[in-house]
Amino acid sequence: MKSILQSKEMSIVAIVVLLSITLSFVSPAFLTFENIFDILKGNAVLGILAVGMTLVIITGGIDVSVAAVTTAVCVMAGKFLTVLPDSPISILLLFIVAPLIGVLLGALNGILVSKIQIPAIVVTLGTMSMINGIILYLTNGTYLNSTSFPKIFVDFANFQIFGVSVIVFIFAIIAVGTWYILKYTVIGREVLAVGGNKESSIRAGINFDKVQIFVYGYMGLLAGIAAIAQLSYTKAVDPNGLLGFELQVIAAVVLGGANILGGRGSIMGTFLGVLLLGIMQNGLILARIDIFWQKVVVGTIILIAVSYDQIQYKRSKDKLAKIEVEA
Amino acid sequence: MKALSKESILGLIALGLIVVMSVLAPGFLSSQNITNMMFQIPEFGLIALGMMVVIVTGGINLSITYTAALAGVAIALMQSNGYPMLLSILVGIVVGLVCGYINGFIVSKIGVSSILVTLGTMVLFEGIVLSLTKGNSISGFSESYSLIGNGYYMGLVPLSIIIFILFAILTGVLLTKSKWGRSVYMVGSNPIATLFSGVNNSKILMGVYMYSALLASIAAIIMTSRYNMAKVDLGSSYLLQSVAAAVLGGTAIEGGYGKVMGTVYAVVIFQVLSSGLNLLEVPRSIVGVITGAILIFVLIINFAKAKFDEKKQKKMQEANAA
Amino acid sequence: MTEYLLQMNHISKTFPGVKALDNVMLEVKPGEVHALIGENGAGKSTLIKILAGIYAPDPGAEFYFEGKEAGIHKPIDATLKGISIIYQDLSLFPNLSVAENIYMGRESTSKSWKKIDWKKIEETAEKALKELDVQVDLNMPVEKLSIAQQQLIEIARALAFDAKLIVMDEPTSSLSAGEVEKLYKVINDLKRKGIAIIFVSHKLKELFTVSDRFTVLRDGKFVGTYETNDLDEDKLITLMVGRQVLYEKNQGIIKAGNTIFEVKGLSKEGNFRDISFELKQGEVLGITGLVGSGRTELAQAIFGVNRPFTGEIKINGETVKVRSSEDAVKKGIAYIPESRKTQGLILQQSIINNISLPVLKTLRNALGLINRKKETALADHYVETLDVRPALPKMEAGQLSGGNQQKVVIGKWLSTKPKILIIDEPTNGIDIGAKTEIHKLLRKLASEGMGVIVISSELPEVLAVSDRILVMRHGKIAGELSINEATQENIMNYALLGSKQTGVHRENPDLGEERGIPM
Repeated sequence: MKSILQSKEMSIVAIVVLLSITLSFVSPAFLTFENIFDILKGNAVLGILAVGMTLVIITGGIDVSVAAVTTAVCVMAGKFLTVLPDSPISILLLFIVAPLIGVLLGALNGILVSKIQIPAIVVTLGTMSMINGIILYLTNGTYLNSTSFPKIFVDFANFQIFGVSVIVFIFAIIAVGTWYILKYTVIGREVLAVGGNKESSIRAGINFDKVQIFVYGYMGLLAGIAAIAQLSYTKAVDPNGLLGFELQVIAAVVLGGANILGGRGSIMGTFLGVLLLGIMQNGLILARIDIFWQKVVVGTIILIAVSYDQIQYKRSKDKLAKIEVEA
Repeated sequence: MKALSKESILGLIALGLIVVMSVLAPGFLSSQNITNMMFQIPEFGLIALGMMVVIVTGGINLSITYTAALAGVAIALMQSNGYPMLLSILVGIVVGLVCGYINGFIVSKIGVSSILVTLGTMVLFEGIVLSLTKGNSISGFSESYSLIGNGYYMGLVPLSIIIFILFAILTGVLLTKSKWGRSVYMVGSNPIATLFSGVNNSKILMGVYMYSALLASIAAIIMTSRYNMAKVDLGSSYLLQSVAAAVLGGTAIEGGYGKVMGTVYAVVIFQVLSSGLNLLEVPRSIVGVITGAILIFVLIINFAKAKFDEKKQKKMQEANAA
Repeated sequence: MTEYLLQMNHISKTFPGVKALDNVMLEVKPGEVHALIGENGAGKSTLIKILAGIYAPDPGAEFYFEGKEAGIHKPIDATLKGISIIYQDLSLFPNLSVAENIYMGRESTSKSWKKIDWKKIEETAEKALKELDVQVDLNMPVEKLSIAQQQLIEIARALAFDAKLIVMDEPTSSLSAGEVEKLYKVINDLKRKGIAIIFVSHKLKELFTVSDRFTVLRDGKFVGTYETNDLDEDKLITLMVGRQVLYEKNQGIIKAGNTIFEVKGLSKEGNFRDISFELKQGEVLGITGLVGSGRTELAQAIFGVNRPFTGEIKINGETVKVRSSEDAVKKGIAYIPESRKTQGLILQQSIINNISLPVLKTLRNALGLINRKKETALADHYVETLDVRPALPKMEAGQLSGGNQQKVVIGKWLSTKPKILIIDEPTNGIDIGAKTEIHKLLRKLASEGMGVIVISSELPEVLAVSDRILVMRHGKIAGELSINEATQENIMNYALLGSKQTGVHRENPDLGEERGIPM
């Protein structure tokens, strides 16, 4: 397992390191403890979602409804928070309710993909458009801000451990936890097996439908948790705040070396992909480059990464010479 | 009796919907509403057709609306800097075609899957538009330019709908009657067998992405002219809607099938729904919900029908065998 | 208690329109290597799929394993009961490690959240590999291994499941000679452990080397089960085809014309090397050799879809460059690929659309649009002259039988009026009647002046259609035989040993070293 991913992940590490060195020359503010953790905090929502998306993409699927689901959970959980008392129980309740809503929405995608056999992109486009419409209808696009939340939540959102925001810890727990699931549980191995070779996995008795429902449900769960992170980060509910965010999530996963056709992908790679996007954004700001150029850079990097990957793949396939030709 | 085609059924649904809306929604048949609908259909319709052509090859074009935005911004920048209208339009179309060429090149020559390529170019084109416009909207079009999106032919039929009809016919003729169009369906059905039949697949795919971009650019001309401005989110709401319209119109998402008429009917259905519901004072947001619901519902029906046909066929064969 | 490990009786399987298996039986003893043999379409793979739990047999079947009702309903049931199937395309997970591949499937009945015990996985894998005496890095992803190594991983997986019966489906089809020998050793070890092996293969020589008994199927029916000692090749062939000689040997060319096609020094790394030959007008050139000897790669290079390569191609004495399949059509080269369903035809499109595809350019009217009338006429013409049944040009190509599909593909290429027609395994999976028809057609096309190259593994077929035969071996031309001197024996000698010398057949036990013989 390690050897193939290592090479791929190493190249992302190299890019991240190179970029960091360049940036620390451009701005001394870059390589500070505060700045690094700010980057992580700022990209925690992206990171949590990308971790979930990694699983979906490993199975060869895709979920473009993640941003909509996250926003839906934000809106509902936000509403829910406003009626909660100012007590620690509220935080606990939030951590029960938000993931639960996410799982339900995600499982809906999973069932449509696995049982009705609708292509994932179409299903999630459909649910995305429905969820976005419902959010817009219910909220009318209005913003909720921190004054409506119980004080305990604001405290929670500002909470730091050793000077590191609780949001970063949530991200870390999700990343490590998902890594553990992928590596050490039956279902995690089944996700990789299904992505590696569907036919073989059926022959090995793996329930393909179950694996699909799991990955979309898990994606939903993480969207629920990402919603908590988003609420904590912005201390507000913005029904339009994450519009189009799903593409950034997919971009991070793809940059992290996952293959859209399934089988390849790792949490470490995705983490690096998120980091790369985050550092780039941060760097452009530090270098005082017009924020608008950021997307040009990201788009170009995505195109180069996927093209390079494809060319490498073709080459390795050509090398597997089919015939021992006699000299 | 010959069974009705998928497209004809869709046409009947569209017709039925128009009848229902005329009864339910006050003012649906008013000339104002009809004109409104006719002004709105072209831009959405063109983008939906551009999306359909790509889906027929088994791909998807996520950068189609930003291609439109980039073409629109190019036209706006040219005109606001005093260049003549025709030259500006030409430059806009060329900019769109370059976008299509980039997609086509990476998909057909390098062989990257279209969803990844167009995801990348989507971010790239959006970035370029943002960098060009600094996030602002650009206006300053000539008066004659605004006629394209707002004018009438013979004082009755909006010009834009005529442009749309012309392009719909062109697309239909190209797809069904030209060598390129036939090959598009073949590549979508089985790229290897098509290649082994002496077809240059990469040329065909290049054509598809260029044509998709051309339709996006035409849509951009109509949109910028109608709104009298160009900005980054020009037509961006049409991205997912256009996929929905193509799929609702019967286009197979895995490629190989899709007809212009199906997509046109689907566009009409979406437009009638959206206008009708609007007149019924249903909030705009709910229209999005209905769009998504229809999309999934149609696919569930397709699935159920396929299962049913399979069973029927099996039964018939068993009966034959017995 | 029965002496048989596996007993399958009264096995029938009906598919829509075909009876793939008709009252077949298969009985396997512990510790024996049992060859399952038959022509393409004889029902071998259907029988294996029933054994594997992929297909359910028709009612009335008796299926016992270890004396008990087998109760196999899905693939994993078979594995867990001790029947491991090693498919030709293998059932591995390329992205997972060797160890995990060997272990995969054991947790299929466990709870999703059960913790994976990596130590146990490694121990299990290590033990299985040790039993096989194979050394590979347990953590290596399987995609980095050679096909032969991957196959050993599959065998190790079977051992890890305590398999009592291992089915090997064409296991040597992509192995080199040395690897085949290693496989035989492994098989012998397995036998010694009391594990039974069902060996499915087309290669007669190979089967005589490894098997204890044979079960022969023909046209979905059971022919018989025989001890290897009671059989020889001729007898076996008779049993398989039902008569002594399948086709009449071609009587040779009446009059050959000028050289219309020539290749000189064609080489492509890992594909073929220094290939030169010429083709005369009116001649059918057979190219044979073992699967994997580079025949298809050569044909696809000539057709412009396997590039780049070095060397020269001449048509009518003129050097041409074929850069793409489109180019090939322009230059008058037609190539009918081996896999009809994935490369030859677009199954979900109509017969018309398939036939006209390479010549759409010529069917255009003044406006550059396709003239539907002309197109239909073209399709009608070929449907009629080639006798495609049913003669419904609007029908989807996928709904035709194999033989009729092949006729559509041939029609498609005849429509391009090719100068050179290359046809790869022309009768693969086609019933005997249609085969003879296609052979006649190829002869006729040649006699009308087309240069025809037939690539085939079926020696009787090669002998039936060719005027001249090239034998390929390891990417090179090992020998050339005129139809008058060619026999199955001397072709085989070229294919296996690279020389024409005779007397190396059954008497020579070392033959197992070489790749088997395709039939």
